[in-house]
Amino acid sequence: MPPLAGQRPPEPADTEASLIARAQAGDVAAFERLSSAYADRLFMLLLRLLGDRAEAEDVAQEVMLRAWQGITRFRGQSSYFTWLYRIAVNEAKRAMEKRGRRPAGVSIGADELQLPDSPLLDPSRQAENNELRQALARALAGLPPDLRMAIVLRDVEGLSTQEAAQIVGISQAAFKSRLHQARLRVRAAIGDRALASSGG
Amino acid sequence: MGMPGRPGDHRWSQQHLSHYVEGELRPFTRRRLERHARNCVDCARGIRAMRALVHALQGLDGLAGTRAPTTIFDRARLAGAGGPSASSPA
Repeated sequence: MPPLAGQRPPEPADTEASLIARAQAGDVAAFERLSSAYADRLFMLLLRLLGDRAEAEDVAQEVMLRAWQGITRFRGQSSYFTWLYRIAVNEAKRAMEKRGRRPAGVSIGADELQLPDSPLLDPSRQAENNELRQALARALAGLPPDLRMAIVLRDVEGLSTQEAAQIVGISQAAFKSRLHQARLRVRAAIGDRALASSGG
Repeated sequence: MGMPGRPGDHRWSQQHLSHYVEGELRPFTRRRLERHARNCVDCARGIRAMRALVHALQGLDGLAGTRAPTTIFDRARLAGAGGPSASSPA
């Protein structure tokens, strides 16, 4: 998957394959250049999963450390992005289990959730969007880690089912089932009336 | 009260709402769900709600533009002198 806009792609002379080879040979600068293309996106994923900036920063450092330490075992069976995301998901899950509770506050900061506000929306509609945003944040925060990851990877991050299943390390069928369960729980928490008024 | 369609259609439809709104059902199974939903208020509402939910979730883009902290490679750099390790899991 290509880096998102605003991320730092490798220099043209440094293909991902050459950077991987150099990193595997012990070149930490090459590893940084390789991984920095995905750093922003990875950090956003951790923020969405953990809901706490300080914790996301801590886990992001741990992800890069583990990726560096494990780079020699990267065999290219998946894309580097998928491999890195898999480490991130595992580390996020470990962090959530370690803290032994649901995400701090909300899994995605309510203030950071933005439903696309149209200038054409009247104030009451914007207020409804804001309420829905808050409700989504609470509902996502209340999900068990596995279900929250399914929704964040597939619906919020927009990964394909195949990519998301590969990252989580389960079959596509199992991922679809997990995603469905997650959506049902969020739907139940929010209520159909709020969803109907969202205009989706 | 009986549900429209074949026995088990309602339960089956409820379990496949996500797949339906993502267009992942094969034509035959999609038609089965649609046939049932035409006469089932609960499943018709479920389809609308699931579509709205996925749409709302896809619109949660408030973190766009967030940059990774400059410290993100600090631990890797510290460990870098020793080279990649074969001992630590990735």
